[in-house]
Amino acid sequence: MGVFNTFYNTIAKRNSIFVPTIFATAFAFSISFDVGVTSFWDRWNQGKQWKDIRHKYVQDSE
Amino acid sequence: MAAVFFSKKALTAPPTVRTLASGVPSAPLVNFAVRSPAGHGHHEHGAVGPRSDAPARWAGGVSSSPVSGLSSKTFVSAPTTGVYQQRLLSTSAVCKDAPQVPDFSDYQAKSPSTNRGLAYFMIGSLGVLTASAAKSTVTEFLATMSASADVLALAKVEVELASIPEGKNVIIKWRGKPVFIRHRTQEEINEAKSTDWKTLRDPESDESRTKKPEWLVMLGVCTHLGCVPIGEAGDYGGWFCPCHGSHYDISGRIRKGPAPLNLEVPAYDFTEGDAKLIVG
Amino acid sequence: MLSRLPASSLKGLRSLAEARPSAARSAAQTASRVRFSSSSASSSAVKSFLDSRATLASATLLTVGSIAWYTHLYGSLPFLGEVHANSPAEEGLHPPHYPWSHGGLLDSFDHSSIRRGYQVYREVCAACHSLDRIAWRNLVGVSHSVDEVKAMAEEVEYEDGPNDQGEMFQRPGKLSDYMPPPYPNEEAARASNQGALPPDLSLIVKARHGGPDYIFALLTGYRDAPAGFEIRDGMNYNPYFPGNAISMARVLFDGLVEYEDGTPATTSQMAKDVVTFLNWAAEPEHDERKKAGLKAVILFSALTAISLYVKRYKWAPIKSRKIIYNPPADKGHH
Repeated sequence: MGVFNTFYNTIAKRNSIFVPTIFATAFAFSISFDVGVTSFWDRWNQGKQWKDIRHKYVQDSE
Repeated sequence: MAAVFFSKKALTAPPTVRTLASGVPSAPLVNFAVRSPAGHGHHEHGAVGPRSDAPARWAGGVSSSPVSGLSSKTFVSAPTTGVYQQRLLSTSAVCKDAPQVPDFSDYQAKSPSTNRGLAYFMIGSLGVLTASAAKSTVTEFLATMSASADVLALAKVEVELASIPEGKNVIIKWRGKPVFIRHRTQEEINEAKSTDWKTLRDPESDESRTKKPEWLVMLGVCTHLGCVPIGEAGDYGGWFCPCHGSHYDISGRIRKGPAPLNLEVPAYDFTEGDAKLIVG
Repeated sequence: MLSRLPASSLKGLRSLAEARPSAARSAAQTASRVRFSSSSASSSAVKSFLDSRATLASATLLTVGSIAWYTHLYGSLPFLGEVHANSPAEEGLHPPHYPWSHGGLLDSFDHSSIRRGYQVYREVCAACHSLDRIAWRNLVGVSHSVDEVKAMAEEVEYEDGPNDQGEMFQRPGKLSDYMPPPYPNEEAARASNQGALPPDLSLIVKARHGGPDYIFALLTGYRDAPAGFEIRDGMNYNPYFPGNAISMARVLFDGLVEYEDGTPATTSQMAKDVVTFLNWAAEPEHDERKKAGLKAVILFSALTAISLYVKRYKWAPIKSRKIIYNPPADKGHH
């Protein structure tokens, strides 16, 4: 029993489980993809963006 | 020549094959492009054209030359001839019943159930990505319908509260409409609070209409037909609409006249330690 | 030509010429032997020629090669029109390519450079050039904090109104106000600059061929006119400017401004900062655009790959099936 067999037996066997799983995964994916790309972007452009230099000009009162 | 002339009778006899000095078999004057007879009893209306199962010329085939004798070349792995078809002039091996040539086992799924799982997984992934992309498309499209940044920048108005003395009205413009700001005195607050508001036409308590009792912020548009009421006038010491005679009290509630509702309270907030009022 | 060739090559030629008729003869023989019942040999030859991979490859090569040749000859792709603000003849010296901090496909603007560039614009450029399309609020979260921008905006008086008496009045600037122009109108600008109109800088990086490279080269490229080049009074020589004579004099000199973050204010440093600022002004969506592009490329590549898999999956049984026709047994005469 491989991974794909387990996948079929637990999720894809019933359409009533398969389709909601797809939508739930899409929701989770869009968030995690956004977070992933943003973290990569921030690492790639480290020190260049406003959030990196903001602390020099703004003293947070809170 | 006579041996290979295609007469009405199908050729069944093997042609003369001789051996060259080099030991290579040679069959001169054999027509390799001859088509298969359609079978007994089909002489008159046999199929025309080359045999459908014969490999094309570019795929190789048998050729004969006086020098090299018979030679057979194959450039592609051609499908084997089916067993149900008669092979007449064959120098190759006999076609087997169930040949596994070519061997497709490399291409076949090792396990049909795993293959099924993989297929469902891929199609599920396609659905996940498509749903995610579709959701982004829709939300981004809807975002274009909201107000643009320059409109939103104009949508807020800041007012310095220190410049308004107690007991005075100030009218400012906000999104093209007048906004009344009144710095109420303690007596006015007491009066507004002591009113039995449950019996009013549009029952609202003074506490629900103000965030801080000394500051009353309202849209200066009469709820009757949209005139601008006059401040510090009317029977109740609040506002009076000159158009049709609506009287509002010191909390902006309708007390007398044709207007159906109290003066509207916009969204506002105090910032910087109550020194500023932001409407919007 | 032939006389200069050695004899051996001629011999080879002759033997080749001899070989050819014999080959043709044998080919004719085999053809005459083979072609008894087939009438489709020639058409199948055409068909196999059309089907062959060599034909496909050579036709592709020919197409790509001729497009490449055309591009090499004329410098543009065939059948695709191009629009240039300047014709090549009057373009001036082509600016070199500078390694901008935002040059790469995934590089964002250097926002501290934008902040310094704003300072250069405010202290130097704003004396003559407007920046009409940038509002104070645009600087918030890009190069300055809200409080800084509010303070800067309040230093400028804007006309507003009408008030209750129907009169216009002056009030301090707000976040929603746009950058104040140095001149009230075009005529005033021309009158103060000997007839030359300082262009608005909001979109200047997009509006000039060469973009940031050109602006940087122009700002740092002032030098003495070469011998023989006539410069009219009030004009300045700049090799990068189309026509080489520009009304704007050199404005950036070492130490002209004092950066708050201690960066040495050399001419090239100021030019780089102000060009980065102007590039941001022309493309404020730049950072978000590159980030969205990265996302789109990843997402659509994945979608394409999976679509190909699904296509193969759906077509495999259709392509590998075999349709067999078994003729009914003949019950006629034998």
